[in-house]
Amino acid sequence: MIRFEKVTKRYAGPGKPALDQVSIDIDKGEFVYLVGTSGSGKSTALRLVLRELRPSSGRVHVAGKEINRMAGWKVPRLRRQIGTVFQDFRLLPNKTVAENVAFAQQVIGKSRREISRVVPETLDLVGLKDKGDRMPDELSGGEQQRVAIARAFVNRPMILIADEPTGNLDPATSVGIMNLLGEINATGTTVVMATHDHGIVDQFTKRVIELEHGKVVRDEAAGSYGFQH
Amino acid sequence: MQLRHVLTELRIGLRRNLTMHLSVILTLVFSLFLAGAGILVQREADVAIDELGNDLQVLVNLCTEDDPTVDQGLENCAGGEVTAAQQERIEEELEASEEVESFSFQSKQEGYDRAYAQAERTGDAYLFDVEDPVVTPDTWPAGYWVTLETPDEADGVISALSGLDGVSVITDQREALSQIYGIMTILKYGSWIGAAFLLFAALLQVANTIRLAALARRREIAIMRLVGASTLYIGLPFLLEALVTATIGVALAAGGLAAFLHWGVEKGMAEQVTFLPWVDWSDYVQTLIGAFPPGIVFLGPALTLIPTLLLTRKYIKV
Ligand SMILES: Nc1ncnc2c1ncn2[C@@H]1O[C@H](COP(=O)(O)OP(=O)(O)O)[C@@H](O)[C@H]1O
Ligand SMILES: [Mg+2]
Repeated sequence: MIRFEKVTKRYAGPGKPALDQVSIDIDKGEFVYLVGTSGSGKSTALRLVLRELRPSSGRVHVAGKEINRMAGWKVPRLRRQIGTVFQDFRLLPNKTVAENVAFAQQVIGKSRREISRVVPETLDLVGLKDKGDRMPDELSGGEQQRVAIARAFVNRPMILIADEPTGNLDPATSVGIMNLLGEINATGTTVVMATHDHGIVDQFTKRVIELEHGKVVRDEAAGSYGFQH
Repeated sequence: MQLRHVLTELRIGLRRNLTMHLSVILTLVFSLFLAGAGILVQREADVAIDELGNDLQVLVNLCTEDDPTVDQGLENCAGGEVTAAQQERIEEELEASEEVESFSFQSKQEGYDRAYAQAERTGDAYLFDVEDPVVTPDTWPAGYWVTLETPDEADGVISALSGLDGVSVITDQREALSQIYGIMTILKYGSWIGAAFLLFAALLQVANTIRLAALARRREIAIMRLVGASTLYIGLPFLLEALVTATIGVALAAGGLAAFLHWGVEKGMAEQVTFLPWVDWSDYVQTLIGAFPPGIVFLGPALTLIPTLLLTRKYIKV
């Protein structure tokens, strides 16, 4: 579903590359942690999958397509197959919870009938059935992240990308978010989650890919975060 | 794509940047008005040249059957209507002269029509319309429009032609016309230069408006890109805003030009200065939708849409 072939990403300016000859292969339906210290290249890898960035060398394949040289006008279609969640939620503060989720459908031209069917269904899935009319700032951090996950999942993407989704949350709330991501993974959605949250990785055992200075130093089918950190 | 959503966005966008949009519209109106006025002046020069010739042209009338110059004691037309041989001789002289750039023949009917148009303006058309009129196409002289190489060298050819049989009167309005056309040229370029400065100001304002709008909407735009909205969808509100501004600007400028043509030209200058033909509503239409110079109906949208397209590409590119 996602394949990196010797991908190197160098940002402008001097210094070592953010990703250095990274090769990764992630199958459909997998749940993968991308771990590593801050600055190890996790976010860079995720942004390459979204084609927010292009590799300096090497190839990135997503859903069977090499996306490096994909024409610009096809990129939106690629992104419709990928849901994205961030540490800072990125909700629109002037829209209600339901409107935030619906927004992701409106802007890709879904019909109002479909939106009014799928949005409540998705809010129900993330456990916010009764909070559709709230504004984001009336919700707790965990609830806001659930809204963000609902927005990422509302178009039923094949891939869900989460960049430190529990980074702003306390451990108890994080567990709830992890259960939700596990549910989404159980529907067949491939989940790639960047994190440096030891507790989570050790508690919810999944495949672990560890980056260090932009290189893959470990790829374990059912790993722990590791002792070196 | 949902029209309702796009229209809502458009309304919000217009309201959010209302003062910016108003200043863009104002600048646009004045620049388009000036550009349009420049086009009208150019067309005024064209219609005047069409009838009176340009400041390089002299009209050489040929003798008629009963030519008035004979009564004035001139010999050239003593033989009555100009003959083919005389005409050939005149053309030879024109071809040989180094002062002449080109010349063209004007038939009796064409000359009559021009004179009639002029008489209509000055209120003398009755002379042509009475029963058994003195002037008819038949008695009107044919002639040659002679275009000179340079405006102030015509003495040679004029004196050579004056001595030829078959040549009646040589009309030389170069001096008066060159003053009029000089003023028109200054007016034309003056308004275009003014328009250019204002158009440039409008361009900068459009750019600024878009920058602010993109800034105000940056969260939404980031999310739209993330969930895969097309560039067209993201950019459409910006384009529509630009189109609305341009439409209002063009409409107001067109209204201003219409008022100018009606009160300033038709009810103003045309009544005072009757020897000149004046621009009319067909010239006005050309000012709005002409291809070259581009009419303000094209100029306005181009000025707002092109920077919008370029800048939205920059701000919202995937
Ligand atoms: N936009 C950028 N411009 C320049 N350097 C960047 C940019 N984004 C990240 N980097 C650098 O690339 C490296 C990897 O960053 P990142 O992928 O964000 O790591 P992580 O997400 O693991 O913390 C770091 O050294 C960081 O400073
Ligand atoms: Mg990061």
